[in-house]
This record gives sequence, C-alpha cells and structure tokens, in this order.
Amino acid sequence: MKLRFDDDVEAFRAELLAWLAINRPSAAEMAAEPSVSTGHAPAWARRWTRTMFDAGWLVPGWPPERGGRNAGPIESLVYIEELAKARVPRTTNVQGLGIVAPSIIDYGTDAQIRHYAMPILRGEATACLGMSEPNAGSDLAALTTRAVLEGDQWVINGQKVWTSGANYADFCFLFCRTDPHAPKHQGISIIIVPMDTPGVTVRPLPEIIHPDQPDLNEVFLTDVTVPAHHLVGELNNGWAMANGSLAHERAMVWVNAVMGLEESLATLLVEAPALLDRLTPIERTLAVDQIVQVAIDTQAARCLGYRGFAKFARGAGAPEQALMKLYASEARQRVALVAAEIQGADAVVAGGVANDGHHAVDEPQGTWLEQYFHSFANTISAGASEIQRNIIAERILGLPRK
Amino acid sequence: MDFEFTTDQLELRANARAVLEAACPATVVRAVYEGTGDGTALWGQLVQLDWPGLAIPEEHGGMGLGMVELAIVVEELGRAVAPTPLLATLTQFVPLLREAGSTRLLQEIAAGTVTGTLALAEDGVWHRPRMHTTARRDGRDWVLNGVKSHVLDGTTADWLAVVAQGNDGVGAFVVPAAAVVATPIEVMDPTLPIATVLLNDLTVGGEDVLLEPGDPAAAQAIERALQTSVTAMACSTVASCRRLFEITLDYAKQREQFGRPIGSFQALKHRLADLYLAVERAASLAWFAALTIAEDDDRRAIAVAMAKAAAGECQRLVVRDALQLHGGIGFTWEHDLHFLLKRAKVGDGLLGTAACHRAHLAEFLGLAAPA
Repeated sequence: MKLRFDDDVEAFRAELLAWLAINRPSAAEMAAEPSVSTGHAPAWARRWTRTMFDAGWLVPGWPPERGGRNAGPIESLVYIEELAKARVPRTTNVQGLGIVAPSIIDYGTDAQIRHYAMPILRGEATACLGMSEPNAGSDLAALTTRAVLEGDQWVINGQKVWTSGANYADFCFLFCRTDPHAPKHQGISIIIVPMDTPGVTVRPLPEIIHPDQPDLNEVFLTDVTVPAHHLVGELNNGWAMANGSLAHERAMVWVNAVMGLEESLATLLVEAPALLDRLTPIERTLAVDQIVQVAIDTQAARCLGYRGFAKFARGAGAPEQALMKLYASEARQRVALVAAEIQGADAVVAGGVANDGHHAVDEPQGTWLEQYFHSFANTISAGASEIQRNIIAERILGLPRK
Repeated sequence: MDFEFTTDQLELRANARAVLEAACPATVVRAVYEGTGDGTALWGQLVQLDWPGLAIPEEHGGMGLGMVELAIVVEELGRAVAPTPLLATLTQFVPLLREAGSTRLLQEIAAGTVTGTLALAEDGVWHRPRMHTTARRDGRDWVLNGVKSHVLDGTTADWLAVVAQGNDGVGAFVVPAAAVVATPIEVMDPTLPIATVLLNDLTVGGEDVLLEPGDPAAAQAIERALQTSVTAMACSTVASCRRLFEITLDYAKQREQFGRPIGSFQALKHRLADLYLAVERAASLAWFAALTIAEDDDRRAIAVAMAKAAAGECQRLVVRDALQLHGGIGFTWEHDLHFLLKRAKVGDGLLGTAACHRAHLAEFLGLAAPA
C-alpha cells in the first residue's frame, strides 16, 4: 500500500499534461458548440478525437494503430483522471468509444473493424447502443426485436427505447433476437445497423430536465434490411459479448463517476459559506452535517474505487468494482439533493445550462435541483440500483437466487 | 495510489488471524464476559510471539513495523473480540511516547513486561479546547490534578500517559499505575474495560514529563498521537463489523423459513448488499487513514476523522441488521453474536463517536460557524 504512484507512472502523467497543454480544445471552443446528444460529435470533438488518435492518446491501453500506446492499466487510470481534471471530455460519444468500438475490435471481422470501429476512433462516426426495449429494461435478456436471415440479408423488426444518442448517431450496435426458441440468454445476436437504413425511425424522448436537448430516443425498426455480414461475432452469442464488452468499461468507468462526485462536492464546498450564512444556527448545524456526510461519501468512493482497481491491475478478482456503480451514482444523487436542500427556496429556480461543453451530455449538469433529477439517469440506466443490489447479493455474496 | 496490501502485509494478516483463532476462540471471550476467566493466557501467548513489539522501533527491541501493519493486527483484535492490553498499549500509549520523542519504557513494552494506556478524555470528551485536569509547575516538577474518564485498561495498565492543562498550554506526562486512583466502570463489553482515573496532587518530573505545557509542539504532538489511536479504534470496530456481517450472511444462507433460505428473499438480499457496502466503505476509509499516517501525508487529520466517522456509521447499520436478521437466536446470551455487537458499539463510543468526528470534519472543511 502506498499513496504515491511509481516514477514511471508520474513520467507518463507529465508527458500527457505537456501534450494536453498544447493540443487540448479550449474551453471557449467547447462552450461555443456543445454536444447536444451522446451521439453528437461537434466539429471540435471530431478534431479532438482525431488529434488524440494520431498521437496515441485516445485509448492509451491499445496499440498505436488503434490510437493508443500500449499503456498499462495504472497509466490508463491516470489518463482518465487527468483528462477529467483538465475539463476535457475524452469523447462526446460515450457509448461509441467506450463500448461499441472495443466490442467490434474484440469480436468483429477485419472489415467491420475497418468500416465501423476505426471511424469512431478517428472521430469520423458515432455509434449508439440498441439494447433496452419497452418490455426489456432491467430484464434485458427478454428483448424481442427480431432479426431473420433471408438470403444474404438480415430483416429486422422491433422497437428499442432509451437509446442514448440515436438521434445523432451514424450507426447502431443493435441487440436482436435471432433464435426465438432458445433460452432467452442464448438467442441474442448483435447486428450493425446504419441509422440511415430505410425502415429505421428515431423519435427523441424529451427528458424531465432540458427537454429541448433530448439524448434518449425510441428507435422503431420496420422491415429494416442489412447485409448478412453485419452480424458481429458469433450468431446467438450476443449476451456473452455484451457482458464481455461491458466488463471492459467497468474497470475504468468508475473513475469518471468518482471525479464527477468530487467535482460536485468541490462546487458545493465553494458555495457553502454563502448558503450557510443565511441559515439560523440550528439549520446550519443540520446542513453542515449533511455536507460532511457527502464529503465522507466522496472520499470513500475514491478509496473503494482504488481498492477495486488495485486488485484489477494485479489481475485479481475485484468485487469492489461491482459496488462502484451503485455507490457512486447514489452518492452523486445525495450531493445534489443536499446542495439543493441547503439552497432552500432558491433551489427551484430553473435555467441551468444543458451542457457546459466540457462534460459528456449524460453527466448531471445545470442547477443543483436539475442535477438531482438528472442523476437518476445514473441510478436507473445500465442496471438500476435495485438490480445492482441483486447482483451484489447473488454473485458476490453468494445468496441463493430462489 | 496503490491500495492493495503487500504480500508481507497479507501474510501478517493471515498469521495474526490464525494466532487469534487458536488463542482467542469465543470460549475465551465468553469466560471474560462471565467472569470465569481473563485474557492473561492470551496475553502470554501474544508476548511469546513478540506482538507487543510490532510497532516499536528495532533499536528498542521491537519489529519496527508501520501504521498499516499495526492497523492489520488491530483489525484482527476487533474480529476476535480479543481481551488484551495490546490495543491500549500499542495504539494509545506508545504513539504519545513516540510523538513526544521519548524512548521511555519502549524496551519493556516490546518485551511484554509493561503495558500502558492513555488518560486523555474528561467526561467522555476526547477533544476539548481546554482540559480540566491541570498541570501546575513546582520547581522542576509538575503537579497534576484532575479526573480522567474512559481510560481503556485503566485499572490494569502499568503506566498511563496523562494529558493535562498548564497555564501556557497542554502537556503530557507518564505516570505509574500506583500513583493514581483508578476506579473500574461496569461496562457492557468487558473486553474493552474502562476506568475513571483520579490524579490527586501527583508530582511528575524528569523523563516522565513527555511534553511540557507551553512547549509549542505539544498540542500538535498530542493530536498526531491521537490520530493513531483513533484510526486503530476505527480499524478494530470495522473488523468487528465485518465479522458480524460474515456471520449474518452465513446465517441468511442456512436459516430456512417458508421452505427456502431467508437469504433468498429480496428484502434481505438488499439489506445484506447494503451491509457489505457499509463495511467496504468504512474499511477502505480506515486503511486510507492508516496509510496517511504511515506516510505522514497532509490529509491525515481529515482521513482519520472520516475513518472514525465511517466506522461509527458502519456499526450503526451492521449492529442493527446483524441482530435483527438473526431473529430470536441472536437475542440470547448463549449465542456468541452479542460479543461482536457490543464491541462494535463500544468502538464507536470510545475516542469520539461518528457525530463527534463529523463535527471535526466540519471544522477541517471550513464549514464551522464563524465565532
């Protein structure tokens, strides 16, 4: 156990910081043209992705031809931390870079990598992830969007919902049922569907906060046909691939969650003196205790994250990682709520910005109360908190399913 | 930050656990509870294994291990509900000697021939801007007067480190047990026995003066020593909670009602998931605090207060649910569960509760009301 990183990691950090200072997009540039959806990459974001790709800073853990520099897991962690500290998004197309491109690289054909993964890495295309359906949310494996192979074409019919970024994405990484007779986890496949394919209709779902900039969408698929070679990986192996590629992300995705939490706390601590001065002594005491508790939550999130990561970096099992999604998303919700409550009546004032430019749009932004509402995106999506508790209980603690 | 234990540290934990499982089974704890035994034999074994010298520098006959290693051993004491003078001696007495730069008694402590404790709290308060216990100068000596509360091992420790208020500030002194009047308090957990200690015109001089009142470094040295004590108590408490959690989890898997294990009900699954999270949260903060002390990092004051606060928050949840989920059996004296329940509660009460440390944090974070 030690607090500091080794010298070679610090050298890596120094090299990154020096490079960032010269090459990063400016705050003004980002604010002038903020991303309005996780499928939307403004011109600056496209240039930024390309710049990072060319310099081997896009996915440091990958080889140079994929936009990396073969960095180890600790360096990759430092990389994500430093980008967040510098207030530069790694990408505006979170699912594209984080899940879709790595999955295609892991499971796709050379042609798929060339035509779909590499354009994401070079900032030329964005992707969305077609998973949830009206009747397949927490029970994702119940999905019914049907793909039938007719000759050398897939014919797809069905409906997706909560598809982040579908309103701007170039293609969808679509989870379909390809064997309706197999057990539900075993009949799912992944098919790449360009969003401009006839029969694909996107209907944005305005959200409770900033309805003018929807990120979530319904996607209707009516007799959509794509070539047979758009199947990614093995037929009917989609569920296993989903778990594989999501696991990719889990090792690192907590860092952004923790840094978001730290940023929220830091903002609250800056605002606190003025807010607290308006309160009676007893109100103040109650409020301060709430702030202190979220400060402890924040440090704990950092420590839990590092704890799981230290085991992961050694190639060991890290049950702490399964805790992080649940803990960090709920802690973020508490910070926003505590801050809004201390604001009192002023919390109800609307009008925070939808996107300040330097965050991906799926991160809570705006006023504290707006952030509070927005934070439910993180406790509901990607496995709701209740599902996370079931997973922890059954897979980590070994409690019986029935 | 590398937040995984080294191979040596993991080995230390495994060894400590094996020793205590053999030397301190629940029957030993029960004997202490029922007044039919004490921790003497256990202490004898720990001395033979050189445990008293763990955190004492090698030049004074110890092993010279650091705060992380001390935390690991203390966790095992909490897990085993061990009735031993080790906690008070190594985490309350020695740290104040060390921070004061004194080598007094270190050799004897490492050899296991002498034990010690800390007499700091007054009326159950560990952090007080001004102590009621006074230190009055008398020539080259100091005269101590006052009452100290909640002194761990107060009737059995051979030596006490006493913190007292002089005119020009706070000071620290070493006094022998024979020079004070220690009155045992009947406590719920006899494995952490406490006493009230009366200092009546007690004259202290020479090398027994650890930190002179008026010494500008005294207050900080006491604070730093206390950080070690507080972190150790947090570690002990979290480890008791972890054991409680493990026992409760096992019980939920085995106990059947309505024809199925009670742990298959989602209401219990979610509670157990939350207990697990509470334990991991508190444990990681306790280790972080230990690490900031080991490396003397600037964040140590905040990290220590967070660790003790989180330990208190953890026991609040774990004690409640461990007792509740065990149902009637956990409510009986003959079940061993209550040893851990009580140890965890006492661990929160000693050296500042969760609320007390959150109040410290409010100050550290600049949130305290302007004077």
